[in-house]
Amino acid sequence: MGSITFHHVFKRYKGESRPAVNDFHLSIEEGEFLVLVGPSGCGKSTTLRMLAGLEEISSGELYIDDKFVNYVSPKDRDIAMVFQNYALYPNLSVYENIALGLKLRKTAKYEIELRVNRVAKILEISHLLERKPSQLSGGQKQRVALGRAIAREPQVFLMDEPLSNLDAKLRAQTRAEIIKLQSDLKRTMVYVTHDQVEAMTMGTRIVVMKDGVIQQVAPPRQLYDEPANLFVAGFIGSPQMNFVNGSVLKEDGRFYFVNKRIRLALPEKYGSRFDSLTRSERNVVLGVRPEHVLLGPDRTDEPQPNSVSAVVQMTEATGADSYVYVAVGETRIIARTEPETVYRPEDKVSASFQLEKLHFFDENTGDAVGGEPG
Amino acid sequence: MIRKLRRTSPFQVGLVTVFTALAAFMILPIVFILNHAFKPQNELFLFPPRFFVRHPTFRNFESLFLHASNATVPFTRYLFNSVVVAALTLTLVIVVSTMAAYVLAKYQFHFKQLIMSMITLSLMFAPETVSIPRYLIINGIGLNNTYFGHVLPALASPVAVFMLVGFVSQIPNDLVEAAKIDGASHFGIFLRIVLPLSVPAIATISIFTFQGVWGDVETSTLFMQTETMRTLAFYVNSLLSGLQNNVAGQNLAAAAGLLMFIPNLIIFLLFQRKVLETMIHSGIK
Repeated sequence: MGSITFHHVFKRYKGESRPAVNDFHLSIEEGEFLVLVGPSGCGKSTTLRMLAGLEEISSGELYIDDKFVNYVSPKDRDIAMVFQNYALYPNLSVYENIALGLKLRKTAKYEIELRVNRVAKILEISHLLERKPSQLSGGQKQRVALGRAIAREPQVFLMDEPLSNLDAKLRAQTRAEIIKLQSDLKRTMVYVTHDQVEAMTMGTRIVVMKDGVIQQVAPPRQLYDEPANLFVAGFIGSPQMNFVNGSVLKEDGRFYFVNKRIRLALPEKYGSRFDSLTRSERNVVLGVRPEHVLLGPDRTDEPQPNSVSAVVQMTEATGADSYVYVAVGETRIIARTEPETVYRPEDKVSASFQLEKLHFFDENTGDAVGGEPG
Repeated sequence: MIRKLRRTSPFQVGLVTVFTALAAFMILPIVFILNHAFKPQNELFLFPPRFFVRHPTFRNFESLFLHASNATVPFTRYLFNSVVVAALTLTLVIVVSTMAAYVLAKYQFHFKQLIMSMITLSLMFAPETVSIPRYLIINGIGLNNTYFGHVLPALASPVAVFMLVGFVSQIPNDLVEAAKIDGASHFGIFLRIVLPLSVPAIATISIFTFQGVWGDVETSTLFMQTETMRTLAFYVNSLLSGLQNNVAGQNLAAAAGLLMFIPNLIIFLLFQRKVLETMIHSGIK
């Protein structure tokens, strides 16, 4: 119960040449916490709305529990949705807001009372049941909206950026609660967000979208360690991955990443994927995350292999870590460092990369070259 | 309070003074009607005329009822007709306009723009220009001398629909969608969500619809040939026009004027708070 299958789903709006959702093809397992993430306008909300039945599917097929639901109305899909601005009915009390869905489904009165009270207890809103939505704070409204969804006990929960109107502290707290709720209820949850931190912390699987197209579908760790293309690599992770243009050369049976200032001897494990590249394809973008950049004392006088000299531009201290922005020629690289070591602008340093943790992308297509390090 | 007064700038003081003066000026006709209706005959014709009544009396009302009870149709019959017509019209205008507005504001369908344009266009016609077509229609479907002959012309109220469309489209779509997912039908959404949220706008259209119907003499003049189907407004109007040049009738006119005005005042006082909400609501959103 609660599995979802998108079969080559498209959404085209009248008068727009590019589809808003382009060939969305994905199976969601029962009980899964799937997060759709991407920049605004990437089609993630449209996808969710098609799943909810609020938006027509232009072509393709949608199945919930192997039932073809393209033309099934929202109320018959056994779903509940939490909206970004909560969408509580302002004219009804909190109790009535939570109860309305049950009432419309002709649930017995004592059953409604039982369920509303149970949900209110779980979400700690029992004392608010008599109030009107206008008398609630943002966090309380969010809880009521969640309660309204939970009380219905649907097969699938849909959430459209439910935390984006909350302040940072409340957001982190509610995030943890939603994760717990999902693991308790064991229902399928499809969650839309533009916040990659939310996506990484909440999802059992993440779908990264851009311009209506799925870029990658993977569990959070894999998404972080093995991004499928430049967009995913840049989108996931904060601060974002460093990118350096260059090319791959083969000398004496070994591969080197080379540009004007950098020359890195690559470990054996990358060899297999460069072998198949033609000469023109050897222009690549090297990707390396800030935590895999190591800064050390300046060694201009005796150059080390796999190390480049750099100049510090600025430092961002977050408390637990410091992010140091250094310039290697024209290229800016961000390195994560211990907060204890202090770097000042114009300091000369040497930067080296953890060679096991490099990513390579095709300069033209942006796709990851070969497989990713395993 | 005192602290608050100290903080008011001279500009605010000026503003309040001007608006108070304006409000006092606006209320003058109402004060005049009230005073006039209670003036004895000699005060009505005093020269120079006096604004306030000196020796209030109910004589004018007595004469009015005496005059009315001598007529062929009793006064109460006109009153009854007016109440029935006003109640029917008000109810039906609200039902029809809110339903139309909900669909026009929240759904996409073919020819929606055309329909909206037609409604806007119909706002431009002066009532006189449609009198003849109206007569032909009412006559054609045989509604002469029935209550529906009074109600039907007022039923399609473009102003009400126009106002409500503006109001309903401000209700967030998310609410409608949430209700859809909750399992509400189109009519359920209308009844449970849209209608309760539109109460301020409904109050506003109620006031002007009531005022229009209560004071309307056209339907009684054109579509009602039987005297027993005519309304109070018609009766008062004919009374006044019959008495226009009659010195002795001025007291009746003064009393009748007040009687016609009072229901409007009551309706306005009932709904005015909601009307203010409409203005606030449309201002913020």
